[in-house]
Amino acid sequence: MENIDISKGFKVILTGMPDLSVIQIPEPETIAVSALDIPYIRPKLLVKENDPVKTGTPLFCDKRNKSIHYVSPGTGIVKQIIFGQRRRLVEVVIALDKIQDKKDDFIQFETLSRDDLDTVPKSKITKMLQEGGLWQCFRQFPSKDTADENHEPPMIIVSLNGNDLFSPHPHAVLENETTFFEFGISVLKQFSKRIIVTSRQDNLSSLNRLNGLNKHITHIVPDFYPAWDPGVVLYKLKTTREENRSWCISAEHLVLMAKLLLTGRYPVKRVVTVTRSNDKKPHIITRQGAPVKDLAGSLDDNSLITTGRFNGRSVESGSHMGFFENTLTIISDNQKEELFGFIKPGLTKPTASKTFLSCLTKTPKNLDCNTHGEERACINCGYCVNICPVDLMPNFIIKALLSDDIEDALNYGLLDCCRCGLCSYACPSKIELTRILSHGIDAHYKDKE
Amino acid sequence: MNPLKKLLDSSEKYFTGSGKFNRLKPLFDATKTFLFFPSPKTSHIPFVRDSLDLKRFMSFVIISLLPVLIFGIYNTGLQAGYALGESYTFLQAFFSGSRYVIPIILVSYSVGFFWEVLFAAIQKHKISEGFLVTGLLFPLTLPATIPLWQVAVGISFGVVIGKEVFGGTGRNFLNPALTGRAFLFFSYPVSMSGEVWVAAASSVDGVSGATALSILAPEGEKITSALSNSGFSLSNLFLGFVPGSIGETSALCCILGALFLIITKIANFRIIIGGIAGLIVTSIIFYLIPGGSDSWMNAGPLFHLCAGGFLFGISFMATDPVSAPGTNPGRWIFGFLIGFFTVIIRVANPAFVEGTMLAILFMNVFAPMLDHIVIKYNVSRRIPNV
Repeated sequence: MENIDISKGFKVILTGMPDLSVIQIPEPETIAVSALDIPYIRPKLLVKENDPVKTGTPLFCDKRNKSIHYVSPGTGIVKQIIFGQRRRLVEVVIALDKIQDKKDDFIQFETLSRDDLDTVPKSKITKMLQEGGLWQCFRQFPSKDTADENHEPPMIIVSLNGNDLFSPHPHAVLENETTFFEFGISVLKQFSKRIIVTSRQDNLSSLNRLNGLNKHITHIVPDFYPAWDPGVVLYKLKTTREENRSWCISAEHLVLMAKLLLTGRYPVKRVVTVTRSNDKKPHIITRQGAPVKDLAGSLDDNSLITTGRFNGRSVESGSHMGFFENTLTIISDNQKEELFGFIKPGLTKPTASKTFLSCLTKTPKNLDCNTHGEERACINCGYCVNICPVDLMPNFIIKALLSDDIEDALNYGLLDCCRCGLCSYACPSKIELTRILSHGIDAHYKDKE
Repeated sequence: MNPLKKLLDSSEKYFTGSGKFNRLKPLFDATKTFLFFPSPKTSHIPFVRDSLDLKRFMSFVIISLLPVLIFGIYNTGLQAGYALGESYTFLQAFFSGSRYVIPIILVSYSVGFFWEVLFAAIQKHKISEGFLVTGLLFPLTLPATIPLWQVAVGISFGVVIGKEVFGGTGRNFLNPALTGRAFLFFSYPVSMSGEVWVAAASSVDGVSGATALSILAPEGEKITSALSNSGFSLSNLFLGFVPGSIGETSALCCILGALFLIITKIANFRIIIGGIAGLIVTSIIFYLIPGGSDSWMNAGPLFHLCAGGFLFGISFMATDPVSAPGTNPGRWIFGFLIGFFTVIIRVANPAFVEGTMLAILFMNVFAPMLDHIVIKYNVSRRIPNV
């Protein structure tokens, strides 16, 4: 195990860390597959409203590669297909069958045994994963698009941690799943020679209790956000240009892949966390695409529900969890306008700067979903540079992007950006840096297509 | 609800949309957000934001200037007292100084603010907090004897030509306060020359105040002893009980302000430390060159550090993030060269006794180039990702 030396990131301690215990909630009435959390997808629907679906029936595929399926995580009928602006697919909602005593009617896919693994060609495994609706778990850098099956990645980064600080703890996700995890790792070895498994420093001791898991961990990252992000890990590990097109996958998805290949059934179980300031909720076992209101409960205030406070998306309480999402963060709205608020000593105000007394204390802080100030022109203060985990200079890159100089922006390392959101977080001028960078990456992606 | 907030809310309709005073919307916004800190909900990732904003950022510079300001007022009164042949108590000196300094600050703020509001109203953007700092920095660089109309002209030049013509705060490449001062320095050399900088001196015969940097030692005497003989001993220069611009005299107060800015990380320590290093190294080199013992060449690093406006400039002017480089190596070089040029101008240029202002403005011009070089180097070290 090697330590990866990462010094920059979000080091404020927050309240609301979920409890390590795990509970199971009752089956939801509806589930959905969302298209909003899948980067760059151009979905093509394969079902109509009121069609009956089994667990594993493809609901839509990706127009760019029609063999990549997104399948139903439950048995029932397609209740509603929701479109957003410009008829963009939002969600395919499925009403779960109650009659069959909550037993899933699985589509049986082909299986693969441990002994077959070395003899089966790679293309066959690829096909099995695409049909089984799990190929998209592989994400390819630099833009984290769905992996290109014809590309041999120089390395695959397996991340034991999710996108948020309080994403499900790997112990809760991988408990009783270590054999699947190990099989998953041997599947990965068919795709790439170099497999990187990273874990947060603080998770190591509890992962020790999981039989044989630790020997697969190759790198340890510090315990502050976003050190465990595969983009950051790749930035720190890469030595050649080719490695920019590495793949990444989360440990949870790796286990799902192993289950699909070994049993031939689409795994529907997910572990999610719901976090809120001053709350300590347990991990929740539920079905993929569970409704947000079942997880978050009813909220009467103005709180914002997101799937990650720094880089998730904001969700309505009527919508459902996405394929890639396993955490809900409820961020309270603290919209009161304080008299002379800008000059208060701020003992409890969370900050990455040194301008509040709170930076002297180690007590956990509450974050709210407010901007704390209005947008101003960039004064080149360098707070974004000081916090960027991949050593970008967002202040200079956005100036290049705003003047349409994509070439300069790329030279400055735009594609190394892992959209962690910290530059926008730290900016005293409240400029939407992450949004501008993200648009730049997307524009470049569309240009190339 | 707070009655003040009620009043603001009820009068908002006059300043927005088609209200009677809709042209004054920037002024209304500035007042409202100054009193009641705005904190709207986020709408894009990340959904959480830091508590620090530009208002607080700029207020911290103001706080760091308080020791300099208070001492400046006191010292102005004290020097005026000396000129009148009286020795004032602290309060007397403070009130006497206030009579000279407060009007200068008020003129600077009100005239500068007028331009800010005018440009904000024309360009339909919000008033930036950056002016709070400029409006206080500018008067502190002036002698207390300056006529008020010159203050108005100077701050107008600084704000309009130094900042607004480039697009406002964030787009200016020169420090606006120093631009204004440079304008006065070259346009009205008599009031800025450093010969008559003691308030009340002109009303008394036979008193001529001079600043430390305009002193030249008589034949055969060392500059340091000449300075001490004229009241510019090192301890006086360090504590600041000497004639000079309002804010620049006390090295101690400047250091206090600089420490506050460094600890809170509002100013970048690299510029300040780099600048002091540049000044010390250059002045030692001049010290070691034989000859010139009667001029500032031979004054040595301590006198160079404490005399004139160097510490004030490097702590509060050079650290303005907009006109300084945005890269760390760039900041070191920027600071170092300001120190270097300050000594060069003081020693080798007979036309200007003080070099800090010109050194900073000169390096402001080079800041983008320093950034360019550093970024080029950084890019060459990155593994290309295209």
